[in-house]
Amino acid sequence: MPEDEYALRSQLPHGLTDLFAQEAADKTALEDALQETFRRWGYQRIILPTFEYDDTLATGASAELRRDMYRFFDREGHVLALRPDMTVPTARVVGNKLYDQTLPQRLFYVGNVFRHEEPQAGRRREFTQAGIELIGAGTAEADAEVVAVAIAALRAMGMRGFQVNLGQVAYLQAMLNDTRLQNGQLHQLEQAIDRKNDVELQRVLADLGLCGDVAAAIRALPHLCGDAAVLDEAARLATNVPARAAIELLRTVYDLLRLEGVADLVTLDLGEVRRMAYYTGISFLAYVETLGFSVCSGGRYDGLLRNFGADLPAVGFALGVERCLLVTQPGSAIAPDLVVHGCQNPGCKALANRARSLGLRVRVDVLQRDEPALLAYARAEGARAVLFCRGADTYVLTRDERAGGDRRSRTLTRAAFEEELAQWKR
Amino acid sequence: MEALTIALPKGRLQEQVLALFAAIGHDVAEKAALSRKLILPDVTGALRYVLAKPSDVPVYVEYGAADLGVAGLDVLREHERGLYEPLALDVGHCRLVLAGPADQRERNMRLATGLRVASKYPHLAQRYFTRQGISAEIIPLDGSIELAPAVGLADLLVDLVETGRTLRENGLVELETILDVQAMLVVNRASYNLHLGTIQELIRRLAAEVARRADHAE
Repeated sequence: MPEDEYALRSQLPHGLTDLFAQEAADKTALEDALQETFRRWGYQRIILPTFEYDDTLATGASAELRRDMYRFFDREGHVLALRPDMTVPTARVVGNKLYDQTLPQRLFYVGNVFRHEEPQAGRRREFTQAGIELIGAGTAEADAEVVAVAIAALRAMGMRGFQVNLGQVAYLQAMLNDTRLQNGQLHQLEQAIDRKNDVELQRVLADLGLCGDVAAAIRALPHLCGDAAVLDEAARLATNVPARAAIELLRTVYDLLRLEGVADLVTLDLGEVRRMAYYTGISFLAYVETLGFSVCSGGRYDGLLRNFGADLPAVGFALGVERCLLVTQPGSAIAPDLVVHGCQNPGCKALANRARSLGLRVRVDVLQRDEPALLAYARAEGARAVLFCRGADTYVLTRDERAGGDRRSRTLTRAAFEEELAQWKR
Repeated sequence: MEALTIALPKGRLQEQVLALFAAIGHDVAEKAALSRKLILPDVTGALRYVLAKPSDVPVYVEYGAADLGVAGLDVLREHERGLYEPLALDVGHCRLVLAGPADQRERNMRLATGLRVASKYPHLAQRYFTRQGISAEIIPLDGSIELAPAVGLADLLVDLVETGRTLRENGLVELETILDVQAMLVVNRASYNLHLGTIQELIRRLAAEVARRADHAE
């Protein structure tokens, strides 16, 4: 076989990775913590196909996301794609199947998504998203719940020093409704606000022929970032009734978050207008100390379900699990608790199973190692103890004394060992 | 609180930018170390400066290795990196222009085939031509862009000019301004939100200093 052919066969395509040992265990622990949090808030899991029709997945997607999708054909010539997020497939399921069920629907997902983009800060071309969708409630209470669940999820993963940036795109949308801007022009405006670039914003406003109260309110957006005082200023600058209503809704959401006791983790930011074409109400991102990128993003998207035949309001968020793993390592235990030598004695098997039933991790030797070799193996794997048998009811238990680095062996009966096992703590 | 890290561009802009920060009380603690050290604390202990290659500054800030930075708009637009750009510093003014030999002025570029353009800013150049509906082949170069038309490597060039003297000396003329450039204060999104009060206050003081200098100049 030519050398480069072999090289390709044993390598991964750019932007993919394998996870094993500690990393795999830690990722699983984060996913477990997230799922448990979502369940406790009353959300039910939805499991979705990895690929479906390109047309479905591209619904409501930004130009970038459509560009980054992996596409392929089936034998009938349909264009299929790997899902680039979980929200659109969830919307499809609700629109096609769950639309007449009791509302609101509370759904959560954990699954891999695929995007052809450069790997960045833990996010690769295949990465795991965990998140929730609260569908069928267009209220401030629903908005506040979703933000509160996001905060609970970050806490459940052991995150410290994080902040949620909460915006309201309906405020800007309402004011722009009075103007006659085209979609392309909107993008320039959105970009200048998003960059908090006053000079550029000024120029874009002039280019678009926006002036007066609307221009003044838009110019203020990049600076409307902070606590509740921001809302008073925004309400004062609002140019129409819907814009004022959007601010009052955000105020209600903020008050509800105060009742939850998490308002100090929330920064109000009316300059948060990214993906204005997709979101229709609140939008938020979460940032963590020591990571320059957001770990979580969400918001209200009342228009999406309409594409799937059910005109239902919806709000949700998604977390990038691998990115979270960069800032919080649960340090899951992966070493075995007990290594048992392989023999024909049924007592050994019974003890191994007894230990397993107590929740301990047990490995039985399958390579017929002799005693010194098995002790060496157990030490290399970080096992707490090794069990040998010396006859019908005589067992030797060797425990690693971590502090001294030496080992202590004791001879026990089966009953004595079972008693001791019950004392072991995980 | 831990010091905020500010990535500054080594070279041309470095002194002007450090002077700006010095004027608001954040002078470099150890001036003598400027030429040999890459990380420099300020006199208050609230900031520390890291000196980086100008085009690398946005990378440091995007990844959060630096909380803030100073970068030219040319560098920021060549590679979009999702940073906040809350303050124009009114230093490092220049223009990104399309230039070429004087006879190119008459040329209808939309009809041209095989147009070759040399640039240190391949993305910005490509975006400009795409928007104009002109098909051009961009030739990325790292320096001495003026040389390219002279030796027949390219028909035109896209480059930064301050006064335009270098262009004129090489028999080239400016055909179009693509971007007005100045130095911007950039901030990492996470840092901005996690240190909101401190960073807003720093921006406020810098903005006041920039405005004071502008008044002074008039």
